[in-house]
Amino acid sequence: MADLANGYTIKTKNFRKIVVGKKLGEGGQGAVYQVNYDGKQKALKWYSGKKLSNPDKFYQNLENNIKKGKPTNAFLWPEDITEKDGEAFGYIMDLRTNEYVDFTKILLGKKKEHAFASITAMCNASLQIIDGFGELHRKGYSYQDLNDGNFFINTKTGEVLICDNDNVSEAGKNSGIAGKARYMAPEIVAKGKMPDKYTDRFSLAVVLFLLWTKNHPLEGKAAFPVCMDTKHEKKIYGESPVFIFDPNDDSNRPVQGLNKGAIANWPFLPVYLQEQFQKAFGKEALQDPARRIQELEWLRTFIRLRSEIYKCPCGEVYFADPVNLNPCPSCKKQNKFAFYLKFGRYNVAVHQRTKLYACHTEKDSDDFQTLTGEVAAKGSDFELKNISSKNWTVTDGGNTSSVVPNAVIMLKKDITINFGNAQAEII
Amino acid sequence: MALTDAVEIPRRTMVLFFVVDTSGSMTGSKLGAVNTAIEEVIPAIKEISDENADAQIKIAALEFSSGAHWITQNGPMELDQFHWNDLQAAGVTDLGEACKALNEKLSTKAFMKEATGSFAPAIFLLSDGEPTDNWQSGLGILKQNNWFKTAVKVAVAIGDDANKDVLAEFTGTKEAVLEVHNAAALKKMIKFVSVRASQVASKSSNAGAADSGDEQKQAELNANLKELKEDLAASPDNDQEDW
Repeated sequence: MADLANGYTIKTKNFRKIVVGKKLGEGGQGAVYQVNYDGKQKALKWYSGKKLSNPDKFYQNLENNIKKGKPTNAFLWPEDITEKDGEAFGYIMDLRTNEYVDFTKILLGKKKEHAFASITAMCNASLQIIDGFGELHRKGYSYQDLNDGNFFINTKTGEVLICDNDNVSEAGKNSGIAGKARYMAPEIVAKGKMPDKYTDRFSLAVVLFLLWTKNHPLEGKAAFPVCMDTKHEKKIYGESPVFIFDPNDDSNRPVQGLNKGAIANWPFLPVYLQEQFQKAFGKEALQDPARRIQELEWLRTFIRLRSEIYKCPCGEVYFADPVNLNPCPSCKKQNKFAFYLKFGRYNVAVHQRTKLYACHTEKDSDDFQTLTGEVAAKGSDFELKNISSKNWTVTDGGNTSSVVPNAVIMLKKDITINFGNAQAEII
Repeated sequence: MALTDAVEIPRRTMVLFFVVDTSGSMTGSKLGAVNTAIEEVIPAIKEISDENADAQIKIAALEFSSGAHWITQNGPMELDQFHWNDLQAAGVTDLGEACKALNEKLSTKAFMKEATGSFAPAIFLLSDGEPTDNWQSGLGILKQNNWFKTAVKVAVAIGDDANKDVLAEFTGTKEAVLEVHNAAALKKMIKFVSVRASQVASKSSNAGAADSGDEQKQAELNANLKELKEDLAASPDNDQEDW
């Protein structure tokens, strides 16, 4: 495709003017340029139209997505579309800023700054990815072409940008993309089925597994034939996929020296997360799309995971279950917590870094971003500060007292805190 | 090792083969353009490799004139270790010898022995003349080679004397043969093909492809080549006929 010249102007459907700047990159379907859009710096994705199987349908789909709007702020969503310039056209989206690292680069692990700064950032990234796809599906879309090239992550905070939203389609529709075999569900790879919400769920599980182990879930000893041609790809990712940690099938276990990330990181994951992955890539879920793990289930697993992050006095950071105590993997010490907060769905250990979110303190909430409470250590005691906008009520034996926003409660065993419509016991 | 540590995901290898005609007739601006273009495109291929979690790209290069000679004698090289030394032109056009040399190295006992496996390679042939040896015999042997069968192949016919039919025999299709008559277009072509062939061949194949999925990578590349041909046809530089 001929490049768009610097300074070239295009009109959008909304009669806004685009002035083309420098080319930022090129993908399989089109190229991305930095542009001036009505006085603002934006990105333009430009298609020659020739590489699309059905350019008219593709154009209509983009228009429709622009109208419906982005599912969450994590999406770099199409905002406006150009008039057609011959067969060519493009759409406008936000520019990606430099603090976001390509997920591919995180997987390649070549540079220190491409690694996550903390386990909390890894949890936040997982939560944002899951939440993004959950909202996308709830809005009736499917993403269709999920792979390592679609995500950019701020490795310090875990904030995520989901890009390449041009193949996102409404349920029952398909943009014509078939995605990369490594990321696509077995029924697409083996049988040529079209992508949908269920195949997205497989891809989501792949991305999460990659993020936590730096290994593909189906790439163990059976996945490295000398000639990796399409026939073998079909077999590994489509016809007979085997999870590398399948409890009942050891034919594709990780190999020492090759699957370094899987071997080092898997034992570090709590059993409930390992089991979730075993379910996500178990024979049943691989074969039956309806048995795949839904976003809400992943979301709650990772909310729990984040709340179990604990820094051992030895310096190691690990996942500490406040109820069934597990030792620090480094110094082997069994850390005990003075208390934990027992909510309906979660148990949250009390220590100097404990944070509560709306998903804890609001009934039926899965909001993992809005902070509502923070623990601080006072000598050997702990106090919990109400940073929500609600009045809390503490019941201690027969006495009740109110905790207004910004007030603190001294935590002690056997008290009950009512957060408005959810409550927790201190145990 | 901690969960947050940087660790490289296991990835496959994809070898990009340059097969360059260095017969006497390539002297001057033809080989000059080839040397410059390959040298200049290496950083772009390195970038594709560095940003690809499916496969890393390695380079192998073979020159043929009176006989065939591997520039990368010890096997495919990683891009940060590979430096292009200008080739010199002399001798005849032994394409058959080049095919035999390729066949010998396209083997798990030779160039294709990566522990993490290799994707089908990309093979890029550049020639300006009628073969002078028994090319049918050499190509016949090569066509039995499974790596060659699944490889993504492109050939460039440089100038009027190149035999496009022979090159189409090599690539398996006329669509993968490009024709060029001046140095500027040749340079553009080499860069475009090297980049696109690397991109297409080094990624996990498209899911849902027909059974002969390796043909699908070739088809994807052919679609790119078609676009390049149209692009060049529309460009004013293309009217210039150096060769």
